[in-house]
Amino acid sequence: MPIKVPWLKGVFPALVTPFESGSEAVDEEAYRRLIRHALPNVDGIVTSGTTGEFPYLTREEQRRLVEIGVEEADGKPVVAGCGASSTQEALTLARDARDAGASAALIVTPYFLHPSDKGVYQHFYDIATAVDLPIILYNIPQVMDRYLPRTVVEDLADLPNIIGLKDSSGNLTYTMEVLEYAGDRIDVFVGHDEVVLPALAGGVSGMILASAQVYPEVWQEVIRLLGAGQVDDARAKQRKVQKLSRIFCRHGGGVAVKAALKMMGLDMGPPRRPLKSVGGALIHETRAEIRLELEKLAKVPIGGTAFQYPDGPLAERFNDLEIAADDIVEHGLRIGSGVAGQGVNQVQIDLIAGGKETPLGDAYALQMTYPFHRREALTAILEPALTVRPSTLLLPTLPQRNLRQANMIYGPAQSALGRAIVDALESQHIPQQAVDDDVMIALVTLHPRAMNRHALAQSVHAAASQAIDQAFVPSPAPGDQAPTLSSSKGEGWGEGQE
Amino acid sequence: MGHKTDWFKGIFPALVTPFTGDGVDANAYRELIRFVLPHVDGVVPCGTTGEFSYMTLEERKRAVEICLDEVDGQVPVLAGTGCTTTRETVALTAWARDAGADGALVVAPYFLKPSFNEVYDHFRAVDEVSLPIVMYNIPQCAGTHFRWWTAEGGLLDFENTIGIKDSSGDLPFMEAMFEKVKGEVSIFVGHDEVVQAALGAGADGAILASANLIPDVWQKVYQATQEGDLATAQEWQQKVQKLVRIVVRCGSNQACKEGLRMMGVDVGDSRHPIVPGGAFRREDREELRLQLEALGKIDRRPVTYDLGHKRVMTDLYATHHTPDPIADWTMKVGEGFAGPPFQELAHVDLLIGLKDGPVGRAIERSLAEWGEERGLRTVGGRPLTLLVPTVTIRTDKQRRLFERVAAGVKLAIDLSIEDGFLPEPILDDVALIVNAFVHPAASIAKRVEFNNYKAARHAIRKAVEGRPTVDELIAEKAAARHPFRYAP
Repeated sequence: MPIKVPWLKGVFPALVTPFESGSEAVDEEAYRRLIRHALPNVDGIVTSGTTGEFPYLTREEQRRLVEIGVEEADGKPVVAGCGASSTQEALTLARDARDAGASAALIVTPYFLHPSDKGVYQHFYDIATAVDLPIILYNIPQVMDRYLPRTVVEDLADLPNIIGLKDSSGNLTYTMEVLEYAGDRIDVFVGHDEVVLPALAGGVSGMILASAQVYPEVWQEVIRLLGAGQVDDARAKQRKVQKLSRIFCRHGGGVAVKAALKMMGLDMGPPRRPLKSVGGALIHETRAEIRLELEKLAKVPIGGTAFQYPDGPLAERFNDLEIAADDIVEHGLRIGSGVAGQGVNQVQIDLIAGGKETPLGDAYALQMTYPFHRREALTAILEPALTVRPSTLLLPTLPQRNLRQANMIYGPAQSALGRAIVDALESQHIPQQAVDDDVMIALVTLHPRAMNRHALAQSVHAAASQAIDQAFVPSPAPGDQAPTLSSSKGEGWGEGQE
Repeated sequence: MGHKTDWFKGIFPALVTPFTGDGVDANAYRELIRFVLPHVDGVVPCGTTGEFSYMTLEERKRAVEICLDEVDGQVPVLAGTGCTTTRETVALTAWARDAGADGALVVAPYFLKPSFNEVYDHFRAVDEVSLPIVMYNIPQCAGTHFRWWTAEGGLLDFENTIGIKDSSGDLPFMEAMFEKVKGEVSIFVGHDEVVQAALGAGADGAILASANLIPDVWQKVYQATQEGDLATAQEWQQKVQKLVRIVVRCGSNQACKEGLRMMGVDVGDSRHPIVPGGAFRREDREELRLQLEALGKIDRRPVTYDLGHKRVMTDLYATHHTPDPIADWTMKVGEGFAGPPFQELAHVDLLIGLKDGPVGRAIERSLAEWGEERGLRTVGGRPLTLLVPTVTIRTDKQRRLFERVAAGVKLAIDLSIEDGFLPEPILDDVALIVNAFVHPAASIAKRVEFNNYKAARHAIRKAVEGRPTVDELIAEKAAARHPFRYAP
C-alpha cells in the first residue's frame, strides 16, 4: 500500500554545488556554509538537483554531498538527487544515497536517448523495487525535452516506495492533472519558482526550489499566509520575488543562483564547464538585474547615491562639450531643458541643437571618439538600425558605475529620447530644415538608482519633449529658460517601483 | 485516382500581390507578371507569398482575373483558393474553374486545427469541383503537417488531384512522397532553401517565393537537373542560398516586395500587420540588396557626389534609396546593426565627413590626446578611418577580438570602395569615425569580425544615402521596439 510520508511538505532548497575556482573541485566548506545559511527557514534540503549541476558530478561527489547534508541538516530530511540517463546508474546512485543516510531520492525522467512510456515506467519500477528508499519522481521538461507522462505517474503512484512528484514544468495544467490522478497517493511538489502560489492554491504539498536557498523565508510566508486565508498578502509576497524567480528559472538556473549568493556574501565558486559564471546563459545585463532585485529585498546593501542634477544657467551646462554661452549666441545654437518624473525616476535632459559647421558639429564628432570615460555617448535610435534625424547623441552626465546604470541609459533612455525626437518631427516642432542641416546632443541625467524602465522611458520622453520644444519654439535670449527642478517636476508618472 | 498532367512541372513563382490603398494594384501586378513570364513554366496568384490570407474573396478573384488576362494562355495559372472553411474553399475553387484557371493550389485548412479525417473530407469536397487540385503542405503557417499516409490517401483517392506542393523543407517527408506516389502525381518543392536537393531527388518542379526575384536562376537549376548536370544545379543553388535564406526566413512577402523594388519593379509593401523593418529586418534589407547586386540584378549607374569644392561622378548600385546628387559632406551619420549571436552582435555608429571639417578635426585631436590610452587606431590606408571601441577595452581577450573588428571594418571599407559608395576620387577628401560595440562577453571571433563587416558596410551606405528617412522614422515610430528597453 502506498503511504504518504509526514515530512514531505514545506520548503526545500535545491542546493547549488560549490566548486573551487580553477580545479573545479567540490568545495565542502562552502557547502556547509550554504546549508547553515538556509537551514533556519527550510523544512529539508535537496542535494545534487538540477540547480546543483548533477549531470556534472561523479558518483563519489554525489554521495559526499549527501553525507555532508545529513551532518549539517540537524535532523531535517535530506533528499538526494539521483538522476541519471540509465536505469543502472540511477539505481547505483539511489543505493549510495540510502547508505549515506538520505531520506528520499529525487529521480528525474530518464533523458538524452528517448525511451518509450513503457521504458520510463520500467526505469522507476526497477529502482523502486530494488532500493529501500522512498522515491520522488521528477518532471522537468525544460531540460529533459519531455514530460514524465501523467499516465505513467498514475501507475507509479501505486508503488509503495514512490512518495512524491516534483513538477518543475511550471505548466499548471500538468500539475492539476497529476494531482487529479495521483494526488491521493503521492505528494506533489512544485519545482518552478514563478508559480509557487498558484500551485499551492491548487493543492501541492510543498516546493523544491532554486530560490529557496536565497529567500526561503518568503516562501514560508507564502505558505503561512495562504493557510491563514490571507490570499492578497500571499500574492504580494510572490509578486515581490517574481522577477528574481523568473531570472533563476529562465536566465541561468544554478549559475544565476550562485551569482545571487555571491552578492550576499556566500561565494559558491564558478559552475563547472562548459557553463560560465557570467556571459553564457546568465548574461552580464541580467546579473546586474539580480543585484538590483536583491537590493529591493534588502539582501545586499544599497550603494551610495550622492549626485546632483545639473543646475545653473542652461547656456553654461554645455561647457563640457567646449561650447560656451558665447558660442551659443554667436552660432545661433538652440538650447532647451526638461525635467520629468519623481523620485528615482526623475530625469533631466539638457539639449543643444545646431549646424554641423559650428562648435556643436565638432563636439558631436569628438564625442564619437569618447573623450569622457564611462560617459560614452551614443546615437539616439528608435531601435537598432533606426537612427533618428536630426542625428542626435545621448551623453550621460554622470559616469556609469555599473552595468545596471548603463542598462537604463542605453535601453529605455535611448529609445525614449529617439521617440521624443521623431514625435517632434511628426508634429513639426522640429522643422524640416533641421533634419539635414543640424545635429543635436542631449545631456541626460538619470538618478543612479533608477530601475523602473517603464517609468524611466516615460520620464525621458516627457523631459526630452520639453527640451525640444524649448529649443525649437522661438524664444528670447537663450540661457534664461532653464526650468528649476522644483517647478518642473513631472506629475503623474507614478512612484518609483522599489 | 489522382493523376499527373503534362503542364504541372518546372518553375512557378508564388507571385506577390501589389496593393493600392484599398485593392489590388493591377498595373503593378501586370508589370510583375511580365517581369517573370519569360523565365517560368507557370504562375501562382494568391499563394502564401501573395498574402492570400490578408485579401478579401473579391480581391482574390480580382487578382486571379488580372493574372489570367495578363498571362493570356502563355503558361498555366494555378490559383491559390485555400480558405479556412470548406464552404469558402469550394466556392472559390469553383469560381476559379469558371474563370479559366488551369488548376488550384489548396492549402490545408488552417488556424483551427482540424483532425486528419476532417482535412480529408475538406479535400474530398474540393475534389467535387472538378478542377485540377494541388494539395499544399506548409506547416510553418498552416499548423498542419501532412503525414505521408494522409497525403497518400488524399492524393490517390481524389479524381482531380494532380500534385502536392511541399513547403515544409522536410526532406524525409518528401522522400516518403517519392516512395508512395511518384509518377502518379506531381511532387513540387515549395521551400527555396532545398530546391536543388528536392529536384535532384526527383521533384517535378518548384513553387517559390524567391522566383519573383530570380526566376531565371531557378529555371537554370531546373534545366540543369533535367539534363542530369547536377554540378551546375548545385552551383546555382549555392550562389543564391544566402539570398533565399533571407527571403524564406525573414518575412518572405515583404522581402520579395522590397527586393523587387530595388530591382526597379515597384510592387509596394505588404499589408499590415506585416511592416517594413519587421520580420524582414533592416539589416536583412541591406544583405538582400548586396545579394541582388552580386547576382547582377541591380545595375550600377552614375551618381554625383557634390563635395562643395569638387563634384565627383561615381558608378554605384543605386536603387530608389539613392538620392542624386548626394551633397553636404560636412558630416554624415550612419548606423549598422548585425547579428546573431547576441553576444557577438555588432552595433556600429559611423561618421563620414570632410577631412577639414568636424570629423577630420576630431580624429586628429583624439588620436593625439587619448588615442593610445583608449585603444583608438586607424584602419587601413585611405580614407583616413578612426576605429573607436564603444566599450572600454580591458582584457587581452577583448583586445584580440577588437583586432577582428578592425579586420571586419577594413573589409567593409575596401568593398565600399570597390562597389562605388566610397569612390576613389573622394578618398583623400573624407575621413571616417567608426564607433564599434563589442559585448564584454563576446567569444566567437569569426562572428564578431563578420558582424562588424556587415554593420560597417550597412552604416556606410546608410550614411551616404541618408537613411533611414524621416518618412520611414515616422512610419515605424510607434512599432519600434528597442531590445534593451525591457527588463528580463
